[in-house]
Amino acid sequence: MGNWERLVWNQRNVLLDGFLVTLEICAIAFAVAVAAGLGLALLRLYVRPLRWPAIMWIEYCRATPIYVQLMWVNYVWPEILGWPTTFYTAGWVALALQSSGYLAETFRTGIENIGRGQREAAYAVGMSPLLTFRRIILPQVLVTIAPSIVTQFTVIVKSSTLVSVITVQDLMFQSQRLVNVWFEPIEILTATAAIYILFIFAVSAAGKALADRLRLRYGLGT
Amino acid sequence: MSENLRQMLDLGLFWEYRSILLAGLAFNFYVFAASASAAIVLGFLAALARVNPLRPLRWLGAVHVETFRNAPDYVMLVWVHFVMPLLIGQAIGMRVTFAPFVSAVIALGLVYSGYLAETFRTGMQAVPRGQIEAARACGMGGVLVMRRIILPQAVRMMLPEAMNNFVSLFKATTIVSLITVPDLMYRVQMVTQQEMRPLPLYTGAALTYFVLIWAVAALARAGSERWRRKIWA
Amino acid sequence: MADPAGAPCVEVVDLHKRFGALEVLRGVSFAVDRGSVVSIIGASGSGKSTLLRCINYLEQPTSGEVRIDGEPIGIERRADGSERRRSMREIGRFRRDLGMVFQQFNLWPHLTVLGNVVEAPIRVRGLPRRQAMELARACLERVQLSEKSSEYPARLSGGQQQRVAIARALAMQPKVMLFDEATSSLDPELTGEVLEVMRGLAVDGTTMIVVTHEMGFAREVSDRVIFLHGGLIEEEGPPAQVFGTPRSERCRQFLAKLLH
Repeated sequence: MGNWERLVWNQRNVLLDGFLVTLEICAIAFAVAVAAGLGLALLRLYVRPLRWPAIMWIEYCRATPIYVQLMWVNYVWPEILGWPTTFYTAGWVALALQSSGYLAETFRTGIENIGRGQREAAYAVGMSPLLTFRRIILPQVLVTIAPSIVTQFTVIVKSSTLVSVITVQDLMFQSQRLVNVWFEPIEILTATAAIYILFIFAVSAAGKALADRLRLRYGLGT
Repeated sequence: MSENLRQMLDLGLFWEYRSILLAGLAFNFYVFAASASAAIVLGFLAALARVNPLRPLRWLGAVHVETFRNAPDYVMLVWVHFVMPLLIGQAIGMRVTFAPFVSAVIALGLVYSGYLAETFRTGMQAVPRGQIEAARACGMGGVLVMRRIILPQAVRMMLPEAMNNFVSLFKATTIVSLITVPDLMYRVQMVTQQEMRPLPLYTGAALTYFVLIWAVAALARAGSERWRRKIWA
Repeated sequence: MADPAGAPCVEVVDLHKRFGALEVLRGVSFAVDRGSVVSIIGASGSGKSTLLRCINYLEQPTSGEVRIDGEPIGIERRADGSERRRSMREIGRFRRDLGMVFQQFNLWPHLTVLGNVVEAPIRVRGLPRRQAMELARACLERVQLSEKSSEYPARLSGGQQQRVAIARALAMQPKVMLFDEATSSLDPELTGEVLEVMRGLAVDGTTMIVVTHEMGFAREVSDRVIFLHGGLIEEEGPPAQVFGTPRSERCRQFLAKLLH
């Protein structure tokens, strides 16, 4: 147990710092991905001329491995766009990019599954298309896809371990740094793996509980 | 900027190194094939454990699934490569190291056995109870029921989801370069260091993976959907 | 060793079945002679289906036993008088002699009609493929579905599916056929074809135990009728007696309700 105390418990502040960076970068990426995903889904569904570009972009984001995308954003984007200028930004941009593709498809199927009658009922009481979308369609979509959105957050957390490769100082980065200081990987890496697994497990469990509660309250299938 | 854009679209450099890069891509396929086989076997065993009437076995299956399904690929890769050999070494009192390829296969095999186990289990449990009773009423034993009644249907039902799992696994093979398996990404990095021109190389790699994965995923989707429909028409 | 010649084809002895606190069967005994048809009637919840499922051990009876040609299914009695519970594998051997037809058909959707019928003869009885095919074709002939043999179940009507299920059970050449509300999930216009097939089997001398809501069928085809109530046999006798002059008040009420 001595090793655990020396290598893990005494380093808890370093690991905690790393974990906070992980949380932060995942939160940013998640927020951007949800917004971008909704935007892409709307473009695909309602903006005729942008339908095909949107589809291509969504498919590109979904079908490219996250590590490849991270490298692409990190090395290629700055040369063409002059942005992102920091590794940190490149990290969340790549994470958001990938998840926006998945979320766009989630939003789209959610929107398409809302019956035509809902829209017609809203129009019949004089609501505008925009109001109908905001007040009638979107809330229902959010309820049905909430569990998938939570799942997507766990995907972001898993992928976020790769930002350590471009020196973002997240949990994975800090733990590998500790390994390089002490040359004793067993305890540190095991603890790191356990933290990730437990955290992701907790988020999934919360997502499942949320799904059950929504199903109970609204009688919706998910 | 227009010069940069031209450079990005000019994939000549990527083409120049095609034989080296293609050999790297082959490594992605080797890792994929080996870890997919491992994941199928392990995942099937874990799924069987999860539907077993024996409680300790069910529990063991659940721990396996929840551990590996919730583990990030990269964390598992690093753990298997740097920690697992030490633990085994301590246990048998010898110095043990894993070749990068071996670590990659073990790590990805374990992680994706978790995903596949859930896919398999859902498929098996989707076979209606009455059909199993009908088989038992005909005098079939457990193994026969599994082999002739449950599995043929379960395979068809879980095929689309299993295809998704395999596509994810193939994508995950791109991170094996991080423990120096010489796959496409690894070689792209090497060439980049030599040529100092990341733009065409990383763009080329991204496009290659995109086209490959997108096409395979579309084919797999169409194929499994058609097969399903043929039976249940 | 019991003497098969003297023993009834199926013998149910003091059968009890309990699900937790709920006692569904509370001591049921009856016998079915070779070549005879016994119908079991009663309100839903009276234990009819449970009784049938206990007979082929899809449900393990809590106590009591079921004998086929005098041989108990669940327990083995050795010559020295000791008893031993049989394994699932051994019970499976007895099940071959009990053809079961379910309310929900339970055809296997990934196999063709012919595939459903030959599956068990090949895999369970180990018949050579050729012989099993011949047998299966003959069974499909008996339910008048020869022309559908290469279709998948999903393409058949409910009545046709149930006839395939009957052929599947017949293909095991069982000593007894068990029918668990075989027509209850069919549309009224489709029950006729299934009842017709069952009538044919009865005429050919098949031993049958039929759980049913079709009183007309029970009256016309059965040699004996059992009225089950609250997990016990409340009335038992030839159809003319049970339907015509029932002694039990509950049986009279049950029948009267059905007639209105």
